[in-house]
Amino acid sequence: MPDEVILRLENISKSFPGVKALQNISFDLRKGEVHCLCGENGAGKSTLIKILSGAYQPDEGGVIMFEGKKVTLNPHIAISMGIQTIYQEHTVFRHLNITENIFTGLEMGRNGILQKKEMKKKAEEVLKYLKSDLNPDDIMGDLTSGQQRIVEIAKGLIFQRKVIILDEPTAAFSVSEIDTLLGIIKTVKESGIGIIYISHHLEEVFRIADRVTVLRDGQKVSMYDLKDVTTEKLIKDMVGRDPSTFYKREEVPSGEVIFEARNVTGNGAKNVSLKLKRGEILGVAGMAGSGRSELMNVLFGAAGIESGVILINNKVVKQASPSNAIRNKMCFITEDRQSTGLFLKQSIAQNTIIANLVNTRGFFMSSTNDYKTGDKFIKLLGTKADDSHVRVINLSGGNQQKVVLAKWLNTDGEIFIFDEPTRGIDVGSKQEIYHIMVDLLKQGKAIIMVSSDMPEVIAMSDRVIVMKNGEVTAELSKNEVSEENILTHSIGGSKI
Amino acid sequence: MTSREEQKKVSKKSVFSRFENSTVLTIFVAFIAVVIVIQLGKTGGSFPTFISPVNVLNIIQQVAVPGMVAVGMTMVMISGGIDLSVGMLASLVAIVTALGLSQWKLGVIPSVLLGIAVAVALDSILGYIISRTKVEPFIITLGGMITFQGIALLLSHSREVMMHGELNFFKINLIEGAKDPATGLNLVIPPYVIIFFVVVILGWLLLTFTKYGRRIYAVGSNESAAYLAGVNVRNIRLSAYAINGFLVGIGAIMMLARINVGIITLGQGLEIDTIAMAVIGGTALSGGKGNIWGTFFGVLLLGSIGNAMNMLRLPPEVQYIAKGIIIILAVSLGSVYANLSSSILRLNKSALSRRDKR
Repeated sequence: MPDEVILRLENISKSFPGVKALQNISFDLRKGEVHCLCGENGAGKSTLIKILSGAYQPDEGGVIMFEGKKVTLNPHIAISMGIQTIYQEHTVFRHLNITENIFTGLEMGRNGILQKKEMKKKAEEVLKYLKSDLNPDDIMGDLTSGQQRIVEIAKGLIFQRKVIILDEPTAAFSVSEIDTLLGIIKTVKESGIGIIYISHHLEEVFRIADRVTVLRDGQKVSMYDLKDVTTEKLIKDMVGRDPSTFYKREEVPSGEVIFEARNVTGNGAKNVSLKLKRGEILGVAGMAGSGRSELMNVLFGAAGIESGVILINNKVVKQASPSNAIRNKMCFITEDRQSTGLFLKQSIAQNTIIANLVNTRGFFMSSTNDYKTGDKFIKLLGTKADDSHVRVINLSGGNQQKVVLAKWLNTDGEIFIFDEPTRGIDVGSKQEIYHIMVDLLKQGKAIIMVSSDMPEVIAMSDRVIVMKNGEVTAELSKNEVSEENILTHSIGGSKI
Repeated sequence: MTSREEQKKVSKKSVFSRFENSTVLTIFVAFIAVVIVIQLGKTGGSFPTFISPVNVLNIIQQVAVPGMVAVGMTMVMISGGIDLSVGMLASLVAIVTALGLSQWKLGVIPSVLLGIAVAVALDSILGYIISRTKVEPFIITLGGMITFQGIALLLSHSREVMMHGELNFFKINLIEGAKDPATGLNLVIPPYVIIFFVVVILGWLLLTFTKYGRRIYAVGSNESAAYLAGVNVRNIRLSAYAINGFLVGIGAIMMLARINVGIITLGQGLEIDTIAMAVIGGTALSGGKGNIWGTFFGVLLLGSIGNAMNMLRLPPEVQYIAKGIIIILAVSLGSVYANLSSSILRLNKSALSRRDKR
């Protein structure tokens, strides 16, 4: 009975324009087991889950078998068959109580009248079964994210789901919350539900998994019974690209220290210290959610600093807002260019001049000069656009990123933070952006580069710091940098 | 498709999108043409009175005051906000100024300054709340509208505040004696028409040729990107309301001068008219898009509709319908254009990527 397979995937592929997100994945899930999915950022875990939850359709040729029958999934069918996905982002109704959250959309009623007592009783029973001390009348918005997850799992039990998928459930959890959740997962599994569990934390995997599947670049690398595998083996499977295929970067001699953070805490970053020299790229690696972008926001003055100091050219500076940072010659190319980098409705010119307004005197502006500046950077960066009148919304991802760069280059800054500099950009534009970065180094400028793209980190960085849970877990020099080393420190079993 | 042709197509598109006011201009011109044709048909070929100088000036007199407020509304909307309180704020300012003149005996200049100060202060309070909290501007200014109405009624004891022509200066005719060559009637340009044009030009200069203008568009089109680019988002949003309050103050005093009595109905419906003018002129409710000349033509268009309907002797019921339809037309045409050009762009892109694959 425990070996009965509920869900089986055969030859599942999924391609997006220009990318093969998944290639020929086979995967199965048994009743009453926890099957963990492991892999780096971008290995294809989330895509696989979206196929299971019906959000994406696999390419032709793939087969999904559910309880022995071939099925085609969409989100509605998936739920009605009993596959529940609990996503990273919460999809809860914050103003409703626990009972209402559990029964929303599937209310129990008789003749159109809600059976509130019945529903509450059921919710109570399940919470008791899960050994949780939550009260069905508690308001969802008052619970911690750990408790909200428990409610979502309870929902799965009440409606007798057969498969529960948990995508990074413990991000931003406290240690005791992780313990509670893992305990609950064990209880749920004993009731015969199959669980697919995704986590960047290998220690969790070793505590609850029965089997582990490793993905890399959209392909299945290996599948193990937990008892046959070690942390080292998993990490080795997750890495393993050929470094000779990486981008070859020109070396630039580095100069004196231009930027330094001492014991910076705030916005989720804990006690981070780092130094950056002129002519150098400092890579910041770590899994998604490890606090890298949060740290960058603090360094740029966009999020509050709780303690610690920032020094520029060996002088302590007050970094109370982005405008301070810009005056201090800092630039911040954010992770999500559309939502935090660009003014999509505006022209290239308007986007180019906006950040440098902080540095200019006077009140009046000339449109002619704006367009000249815009055109200058179009030429300099090779942006594909007729002229700087063109609105940014009409450009492709790579060209949009060049507009973001133009905005910062125009401020004449010296300390650049690149957060995911090439995300969602085609290969050709990627190389161009790398060129621009090296050019900046040659001018004696310095770069902090956050990236989830392992080849990028390895190819571009002079040094790498690795982050996990908001802390720096390692600083690797150029010759220590390898996929294996980085991964070990970003997801490694034991807490350092 | 050769790359030459593609280039041409792309540049054609960008030139087209550069004429931001094409929608409102098209409708405006089309509307005038239709009215002229109808008039010519009715009178059998004599000069259409609709475009006679006296009638054109008449239209401008009617729209001058809402037009000033529409300039402020455009700025608020570009910054990503909206202001529903302008109508009741105008009534309140008119009542305060009228009281200052007739009951508190403050004299003309202090009363006028008091009225403007009240407008700036109250709208700035709304702007302060909006820029410091995450509450929707729609709700805050709705609350402001109701509050201002209450204050105005309290101050005036729900009655009219009579005046004795203290503000008549604002409606003297600056071109006394000039005659319309077409109709032989007297031409009239009062000072508030001049003030309207000054406001339009200053508004245009502010939005187009200053740092402040750049920043207000940035805030309206992407608040977080603006913040990270060093823009003081909160103060920009606040200032848009302050400027709007200032223009409402001036507008309210002009209205008061025209009708010579402080009364609660004075500003009624002003918010609807001014939002309509801005929107017809291409200002987006979502912020970041719009310009003063677009609004200017929106003002003229909305004013001409009522005037033309009167000249064609259409009943007021029909006027409402026509106004409504033209607003819907103006706004949806813009979006039809946008959809069209973006689908053309998509086609171009897919053609390009297909070619790249080959």
